Amino acid sequence: MGGRGRGRGNAVSFNIEQLGFGRGEAGPVSVTQPPPLFPSLENRPLPLIKDVENEYILVTQKDLSTRMRNSPFYLKPSENTSYEKELPVLWNRMPAELRETLPKRLATGNSKVTLNAKKKKVEDPDKIFAKLEKKERTESEVEEDGDGKEDEDDQDKSDDEKVEMEDDVVEDDDPEMDDETDYANNYFENGEAYLDDEDGQDDGEAQF
Amino acid sequence: MEKLSAKSDHIYLGEAIVKKALAVMIQHNLVKFQASERNNNVAEYTMIHHNVYCLIRYPKYLYMIKRIYGTSEEILLEILLNLGQASASNVIFHSANRLNEANDSEVLSPSALHQSFQRLAQDNFIIRCPKLAENATLLKVPTLEIEEKEKFAVPNVEIEPIARMLKEKATQLGGHCDSEIIWRVNHERFDIELRNVILVNAAARRVDTTAGELYHLILKLWRESSNPDSPVTTPVSYNVIKDAVRKNDSSPILLEHFDHYLRVLYEDSAGLIDRAGDAGGGQFNLDYSKVFENLACASLDSIVLERFGSKALRLFRLTRIQKFMEQDQMQNVAMIPAKEAKMFTYKLLEHNFLQIKELKKGTSNFAPVKSFILYHVELPQVVRTTLEASYKGLFNAMVRQMHDLTENQRLLEKHAMLESMLERLKGDGVPDEEIAELSDTMPPAEKSLVEKIHLMSDNLTLGQTQADETILILESYLKFKSKEL
Repeated sequence: MGGRGRGRGNAVSFNIEQLGFGRGEAGPVSVTQPPPLFPSLENRPLPLIKDVENEYILVTQKDLSTRMRNSPFYLKPSENTSYEKELPVLWNRMPAELRETLPKRLATGNSKVTLNAKKKKVEDPDKIFAKLEKKERTESEVEEDGDGKEDEDDQDKSDDEKVEMEDDVVEDDDPEMDDETDYANNYFENGEAYLDDEDGQDDGEAQF
Repeated sequence: MEKLSAKSDHIYLGEAIVKKALAVMIQHNLVKFQASERNNNVAEYTMIHHNVYCLIRYPKYLYMIKRIYGTSEEILLEILLNLGQASASNVIFHSANRLNEANDSEVLSPSALHQSFQRLAQDNFIIRCPKLAENATLLKVPTLEIEEKEKFAVPNVEIEPIARMLKEKATQLGGHCDSEIIWRVNHERFDIELRNVILVNAAARRVDTTAGELYHLILKLWRESSNPDSPVTTPVSYNVIKDAVRKNDSSPILLEHFDHYLRVLYEDSAGLIDRAGDAGGGQFNLDYSKVFENLACASLDSIVLERFGSKALRLFRLTRIQKFMEQDQMQNVAMIPAKEAKMFTYKLLEHNFLQIKELKKGTSNFAPVKSFILYHVELPQVVRTTLEASYKGLFNAMVRQMHDLTENQRLLEKHAMLESMLERLKGDGVPDEEIAELSDTMPPAEKSLVEKIHLMSDNLTLGQTQADETILILESYLKFKSKEL
């Protein structure tokens, strides 16, 4: 509140008349209950336009949404993991990571790396035979087809090939990577910076 | 931009669902991907906001195509919208199937549909998706590229395999020659078309329907000659317009009074046509920013009118036209009693339709500081606020509709099943008494409830469509305003 008797002019910055009350009228009424959930609607909105175009739009909208709901694109939370054949998506234009076979293999390979290392020795001979056999089969079939397009019969074999490439390639998902930083690895410094230039590196830590 | 692993962490739905969902969204042009910079084997995904918003406009697209061309093009577009991205043969195949289901006679052959497809591509309503780069199959994240001239080129489509498949009543078209050439709906072109519809309707309302026809023709001429991104069209001369009117099968009234109509349109203050020069009998162009400013103002005016009343509208228009006004000036010029004027001014201010600018008039140090309070309408700000409110209204309508439908889902499904059973029985020729008995299994109270739900859902859809029109006008205004700066 301006002007508490300091100095001569105890005028306030606004003019009472300008606000719209006179001197004698009371101020706004005090509120005794919580305000209503929605403000009251003073003017009703205009009615909706219903002409030929809008009728057509209504019918088409319903039609389109029913078709979409019934189409295979409408994903329901099912446990079905073999979706690559059912979903009419153009798979050869999508990133490889969206295709389905990866999660099964990586899920077992990701955790417990040490156990796998031991297991691999036992499995290896069998795996190698299986891989070789499949490679022979796929090579002959690929020659017949002529181009590398996905065919539903070849799907399993080509998926296996991709998985083999996966095993050779460095793992993409580093389990210790949180939010794209190597914070976990950098938190504890390994002391190599100890004998570097120490100008201005004193963070205020006491040195004893 | 997010990596797949980041997404899976955020959404606890399970990795398979996330992958499926991403694949479906990419297929429908809602999400795009590119290889991450750090690691070429991982993709980063971005959402294409505009396309997601345009989902609500699909029925409008279909209506426009139906009006401009006809049923076969409409069905082609509908199939393309359902599939997201598809090759020409696939679209033609499915459309032929759909048309055959609708009429039992094979009315359209695939070659006719192929021609319809070409027409759509020529007018740029559908566009080709970028194709796989050469070594793309070896990469984990395929790169997609396309050249400018290939964007609308329709490949040769082999009709015989399609016709054969149709005869065999196959449900899927197998491998075909143009399966690597993928098409999708061209949203930008449809936006331009929607805007043109608004302008033509404005011309028709302002003058009359023949003027609307004339304006439609002139718009076509402008579109053919100008760059779609520029805020002002290239001028078109009077003689060219006259030729076009004569060539086109216009109504006789237009041919007779063509001069008058043109004059009325360009003298009108809405700015639908601007006279840009005198060469060739008169040069005419269109300034999009001016036209859309007028349209946006008209929309705001009607919003103020409906919410606050005509007196408030008078104050609003006055302030908008006069730029800066004082309170006293406003009530004098608008001829509204003082107290009401103050009340409406305050209401408009509260809802952000008016803005205040204070100018201090400090003279001596002892006298109390007087300041001028000026009211003005800052149009971009008001438009942005109204746009937000429109989005909110649209969202509310959608949420309410979803809520109603899911709450009563069981009832609606039961009703739908009953209806389909009744249809089937009627078709089989079952006597009327049995049909009446069957329809009585659902009590009339439930039937009337179902009616009510359908009615409410329809009204909400209509409301959404109309909100979308306002949104289009306001968004166009903001877009052209930012271009001119």
